[in-house]
Amino acid sequence: MENLMRFDTGLMFWTWVTFLVVLVILGTKAWKPMMNALEKREAFIKDSLAQANEARLEAERVAKAYDEMVAKARREAQEIVAAGKTTAEKLKADILDEAKAKADALLVQAGRQIDSERDKAIAEIRNQIVDLSLFAAAKVIGKAVSKEDNERLINETLQEIGQS
Amino acid sequence: MSAGTEQATKPIGELIIEHVANSDVIVQLSIGGFDLSITKHVIMLWIAAGLLVTVAMISTRRYRRGDITAPRGFVNFLETIVAWVRSAIVIPNVGAGHATTYAPLLLTFFFLIVTMNFLGLIPIFSYINHGHGGTTATGNINLTAALAIITFFAIIVAGVKEHGFFGHWKNIVPGGIPWPVMFILVPIEIMGMFVRPFALTMRLAANMTAGHVAMLAIFAPIFMLHNVYVGVGSVVMNVGITFLEMIVCVVQAYVFTLLSAVFIGMSIHPHH
Repeated sequence: MENLMRFDTGLMFWTWVTFLVVLVILGTKAWKPMMNALEKREAFIKDSLAQANEARLEAERVAKAYDEMVAKARREAQEIVAAGKTTAEKLKADILDEAKAKADALLVQAGRQIDSERDKAIAEIRNQIVDLSLFAAAKVIGKAVSKEDNERLINETLQEIGQS
Repeated sequence: MSAGTEQATKPIGELIIEHVANSDVIVQLSIGGFDLSITKHVIMLWIAAGLLVTVAMISTRRYRRGDITAPRGFVNFLETIVAWVRSAIVIPNVGAGHATTYAPLLLTFFFLIVTMNFLGLIPIFSYINHGHGGTTATGNINLTAALAIITFFAIIVAGVKEHGFFGHWKNIVPGGIPWPVMFILVPIEIMGMFVRPFALTMRLAANMTAGHVAMLAIFAPIFMLHNVYVGVGSVVMNVGITFLEMIVCVVQAYVFTLLSAVFIGMSIHPHH
């Protein structure tokens, strides 16, 4: 047993020296850079997760905005189409109304013209009848009737004609 | 081993002790009256330190370059152990704020002890001097005492750094107790200050020696009985014990490091 418990200053001294040398070398050149890297990596992973989460939220927000925009555009398009339809229908009605009014006016005008032409024609016919009558009467009688008789005869004839 | 020829002259117990003990002086060295002789355990300590420094320096090149990506293979394995020591031993005991200060010390404890422990399992060091057996440097109380004394001073330095010189010594005694109790408590706490490193010393040395003693005791019947079947049995049993020893190697390094961290942590965060 005395072998195992022997006091050995040499081993103690060399243990301290060796330990301190190893501690200084590895402490500064191995453990410190390694733990720095570990901490940096931990931070990097944490940051990445936070960023990913942020990006996900952002993407969700954008998708929502996009959906809203599409819905809005659709609504607007529908409104535009509806408005176009209304305008077109109104235009159509206006054109029809105008055309009808023009046609009516033309009809009225044409009627009036026909009336006036007819009146003119009738007047002319009347004059010619008078002339012809006078001419015929003169031929038949062989002489000219007086102006008064003439007039009376014509008017009587005209009345007869008018009645017939 | 020369056990076979010595067997007739020496009792087997004495032979076993000789096999786990340090060698005689290999290089006589003395400075100022202090014996600094180099023995087998000093050489094993140096081999372990050299191996550790070489492997660690080669493995951590990428970190010195500032590469923070996850490594592969052996470096990943090493990094896993470092991360485990940091997150399971250092941070829970000394606190995250002091982790950077004490992690290098505790990591060096762990890796140096574990390297020496495993080195002791390799039975080639019997060829260093005098034909003694495959001993373990961490099975020598002088070495473990030296390590425990480092812990002892680390505890004091940690306390003084955190609370000031007088603050640290005041923290050794818990406050808010009636003064007569101090007569019991102060000696107990002062004793505790020395008992802790002493326990560290004995625990590591005894555990690392015990495995070798057990293995040698199992080998002993081969030389006592000169029977080949006993040899087969001994070898089979010792293969099993070797695997057990591998666990002990890691566990004892862990325990030494953990307790050092606990004591340093107690010094930084004293009881209330």
